[in-house]
Amino acid sequence: MIARLSAYERVGRFAAIAGAALVLLSVMLPWAYGKRALDDMTYFFGPSPLQLCGAGVAAVCLAALIAGLVALPGRGPTMLCWNDMARVGGIGLAFYVGAVLVAVAVATGGLVNVEAGGWLAFGGAVLAALGGLTLPDSPQATLSHFLTPSWGQIAAIVVAIASALFAAAAAVNQGDVEDFVVFGVWLAAAIFLVRASGVFAWLSLAAAGNRQVLVMAAFVAAFAFPFTQNGSDANMSVAAQVLTFAGTAIGLNIVVGLVGLLDLGYIAFLGAGAFTAAVLSKSAFATLSVDLPFPVVVVISGTVASLLGLLIGTPTLRVSGDYLAIVTLAFGEIFRITMNNLDGTDGPNITHGSNGVPGIPNLNLFGFDFGQSHEILGVTLTRHANYYMLLLVVIALIIVVFTNLNHSRIGRGWVAIREDEMAAEAMGVNTFALKLLAFAGGAFLAGVAGSVKAYTDTSVSPDQYVFLESAFLLAAVVLGGMGTVMGVLIGATILKLLPEKLRFFDDYRLLLFGALMVLMMRFRPEGIIADERRQLEFHDEDEELAEDVETELVVHQAHHNLEGGKRS
Amino acid sequence: MTMTVHEAVARRRTADRTVLLEASDVTMRFGGLTAVNNVSLKVHYGEIVGLIGPNGAGKTTFFNCLTGLYKPTSGRVALEGEKLPPKPRQVVAAGVARTFQNIRLFHNMTALENVMVGMYCRTKANAVDAILRLPRHRAEERAATKAARKWLAFVGLTPAADVLSRNLPYGDQRRLEIARALATSPKLLLLDEPTAGMNPNETRQAEELIFRIRDLGLAILVIEHDMRFIFNLCDTVSCLVQGEVLVCGTGAEVQSDPRVIEAYLGSPQLEDEDDA
Amino acid sequence: MTPDLFFEQLVNGLSLGSLYALIAVGYTVVYGIVQLINFAHGEIFMMGAFGAYTVWLLAGSPTELSAAAALGLLLPAMILGGILVAVGTALLTERFAYRPLRGAPRLAPLISAIGISVFLQEFVRLFYGRIPGFPDSKRAIPFPHIEGISGNSIQLGDVSIKMTSVFTVAALLICTAFLWYYINRTKTGRAMIATSQDPDTARLMGIDVDRVIMSAFAVGAALAAVAGVAHGMYIGNIDFKMGFMAGLKAFTAAVLGGIGNINGAVVGGVVLGLVEAFAGQVGDTAWKDVWAFVILILVLVFRPQGLLGAKVVDRA
Repeated sequence: MIARLSAYERVGRFAAIAGAALVLLSVMLPWAYGKRALDDMTYFFGPSPLQLCGAGVAAVCLAALIAGLVALPGRGPTMLCWNDMARVGGIGLAFYVGAVLVAVAVATGGLVNVEAGGWLAFGGAVLAALGGLTLPDSPQATLSHFLTPSWGQIAAIVVAIASALFAAAAAVNQGDVEDFVVFGVWLAAAIFLVRASGVFAWLSLAAAGNRQVLVMAAFVAAFAFPFTQNGSDANMSVAAQVLTFAGTAIGLNIVVGLVGLLDLGYIAFLGAGAFTAAVLSKSAFATLSVDLPFPVVVVISGTVASLLGLLIGTPTLRVSGDYLAIVTLAFGEIFRITMNNLDGTDGPNITHGSNGVPGIPNLNLFGFDFGQSHEILGVTLTRHANYYMLLLVVIALIIVVFTNLNHSRIGRGWVAIREDEMAAEAMGVNTFALKLLAFAGGAFLAGVAGSVKAYTDTSVSPDQYVFLESAFLLAAVVLGGMGTVMGVLIGATILKLLPEKLRFFDDYRLLLFGALMVLMMRFRPEGIIADERRQLEFHDEDEELAEDVETELVVHQAHHNLEGGKRS
Repeated sequence: MTMTVHEAVARRRTADRTVLLEASDVTMRFGGLTAVNNVSLKVHYGEIVGLIGPNGAGKTTFFNCLTGLYKPTSGRVALEGEKLPPKPRQVVAAGVARTFQNIRLFHNMTALENVMVGMYCRTKANAVDAILRLPRHRAEERAATKAARKWLAFVGLTPAADVLSRNLPYGDQRRLEIARALATSPKLLLLDEPTAGMNPNETRQAEELIFRIRDLGLAILVIEHDMRFIFNLCDTVSCLVQGEVLVCGTGAEVQSDPRVIEAYLGSPQLEDEDDA
Repeated sequence: MTPDLFFEQLVNGLSLGSLYALIAVGYTVVYGIVQLINFAHGEIFMMGAFGAYTVWLLAGSPTELSAAAALGLLLPAMILGGILVAVGTALLTERFAYRPLRGAPRLAPLISAIGISVFLQEFVRLFYGRIPGFPDSKRAIPFPHIEGISGNSIQLGDVSIKMTSVFTVAALLICTAFLWYYINRTKTGRAMIATSQDPDTARLMGIDVDRVIMSAFAVGAALAAVAGVAHGMYIGNIDFKMGFMAGLKAFTAAVLGGIGNINGAVVGGVVLGLVEAFAGQVGDTAWKDVWAFVILILVLVFRPQGLLGAKVVDRA
């Protein structure tokens, strides 16, 4: 059996096996000197959580190497892509251990504090990576051919969502920057490993078939998230910011992703909603303070924003392309300057100028005070956790609006406009009305998000609504994948979470953001999600259709069913 | 579109010689260039009318005048006696659909979705219906999907329903454009060079498809360069040269007219016509 | 408005307008050839100003020069340094951010340009001050005093005209003359005209289109650098954010004159400067930027070909 291996591959495979085993063993040794480094990797036979994480990847890698060896005869398709798993796992392991060593050096002042175990792990990981590179590519995994019972698929979805929740909670809970980075590297390695195995492909099919379960599980997980935070208000504040940002970005995604209109002043709509809610609130600085129930305020804020959208859209939607981008940018700036000038000296006093409206009182809905911490199921839900829950409801509504519109004649009209506006008009689509609807509808969603943001932040001021924020929103859409909900959620999370957790990098945030935009356009203009799809090639052998047709079909169904939208 | 072929044919017979579309003295000028000059044309119910002419004769410009893409400098276009509205989408709603000389499908949409876009003007569900998934949305969506599949079957693209249109072979793209146009429930279908770039076998299939469309009770106005195709297909043929109607008559009449032969073989050609 | 005040605002408007015009040329030349709105052009202008300032620093921060030495040596050296930095930056962005995206959907270069714009601002903010001996770039940096221009003015009857204004307007006139010569009388200039009219044919005629595009970026950057120096002297300081608003205004000027049309950019810049100066006089200065944007929107919506007409009108 072994004789069938080329000499090259034989050396590689056994080197990789040895390397993975080394990493596995090394976690029994201390990796670092000094408890300050990471989460205490100083014990013999007492691996720390991060070490265990590494050991997990090493174990899976080892298993894949051995399974690949066993499955060798015939070299036919196997259930999972063992070789790909081993290769990706080895490389991931090398990155992970490398990151650990760097983190140890940074935290304790030099590589001298790396113990023998750490070097052993690094050597093993590099060996595993190099060995893995010699392995041939796996044939397509056959996992997708197994039609598991629906309860199995549902269970898999629940497990996947639960893992995602667990990973998110663990990431947010990493206190130190080094821990967060190392955990991030590990998470990336683990995700790539699972993807290489072909499990994602199967999972996508399962998710496509059980869309409601997926959506339910995702929302349950999102609601469960505050319970994993042990009353940390700081973390929940970040989470609330992510949700506000994501909600606004989904609104923008209608305009940019579905209709293909570039809007560079979108933040103005969030601002319009926030300012409306603020001046209507019971803050001492509110100029139009009225006692309205919160849902009414939300609707008013959304309406004000969408009226602004109509005001902007009616004249400008005659121009297209780059010009529209510049016009919207100009409107965004006009909005900011206007909010600054409505201070009583340069214009009527509505917004208190650059001071804005501070001291917005907390919400109290149905006797539930959003300003207080509440004890639920033994876990403290802090002020921001309350708003997080509220935002979750809002974002759920936004997603419903986006998805339902997308999957209707209106959504088809929008995409038709994006694809070929003239042909759409010539096929009877009312392009102007649809573009206006997208503008006003997207603005409404942003306005709604803004009204909740006003209460979450307790203050609203014009300097929060600058051009750069519009660029960030656009980046979330572009980074995640235009036209998808999932992509925007991921893009928004990355863009908001990373700077919050990586405080040291806060100063470099915009620099990296600028570079990221350029690099994305250069190498991955379709964004994270769309790109991932492209790599998930489902090659079922269906007799009726040609292979490429089939691929398109399955990918298309996954698009439609998973979270719908991007037709690329 | 729900009527049977027999009914349609019967309707065609009885409705014969009733004018569906009438273009009278249509002129289109671009600056100093007169692309279409005093062109008059009649299309009767259930008739296939061909429009031929050398390159740059103004055929596509004339099409664009009919479909509202261009506003004619002068002249009048009427459908069933009523003046056609000015905007392309209103023309579609009135019952004139078209295909394009250079295929203009929505490339990143599936074949089915492309056809369903054609149904946009025949459906009414608004944003609220769609967001709340109200009965009107659901009923229309069901009906539209069914009808779109029917049209795909009609042009023979059922297996490709879920394929992105940009991945379809060339001939299928042409047929999909026809299905998309048919989905707007037109009374008159304008085909701009439907067989351009096709091999003889595909051309024959296209011919057969056009006859089947006619048998549904639609009138068809077709621009073509393939003479055999035109003369096989059309009840009447108009030959356009330098923006003016040179000859109008049955295929045999036009075919034998010396002026037509001269136009094709001997006349100087204008600069490329403006295909918008 | 008194005649004196009118004259003062006229001078203000002309100098402001000359600044806008110098920057606007960069937008219009690039747009005329590749139909790309170089969103990062405002940052090129900023880089030019910092380049000139760097020359002054490297020269040992001279403050006590005679007018002759300042005008004869220092100022030309600063302008040259600014041009070098600006042109270098522009060529790098063209090579690495725009050229790979030719033929991509229109959204891509625009987003890339926004990225470049943010990147350059942040690059200067974060790293310029880290060079030993260089001032903190996170705050506005006072621009050096150029003897003979800064602080001087000429008296014309009752009104005094600041020399910085004279310099700015003169810079525009000289640059326009050079530009006219370059476009109409040199081989590269004629190649630019040819490429702007039909890039494919130009390529078939043996024109190196890549080089032409690089020349367009370089010419625009050089003028923006001159504007950077003029801006530094006219306003008195420079900072990493100076390119955003100036770039936007200059773009407005380019559109106002008809984007793709070089004469239009000059006219548009001057008109915008005058409008801003007088609007600021008549109304509240807090709203003056709003007027510039309102003009931008009105022009784009109702007369996208600009005042003088653009070479490229179809934006579909």
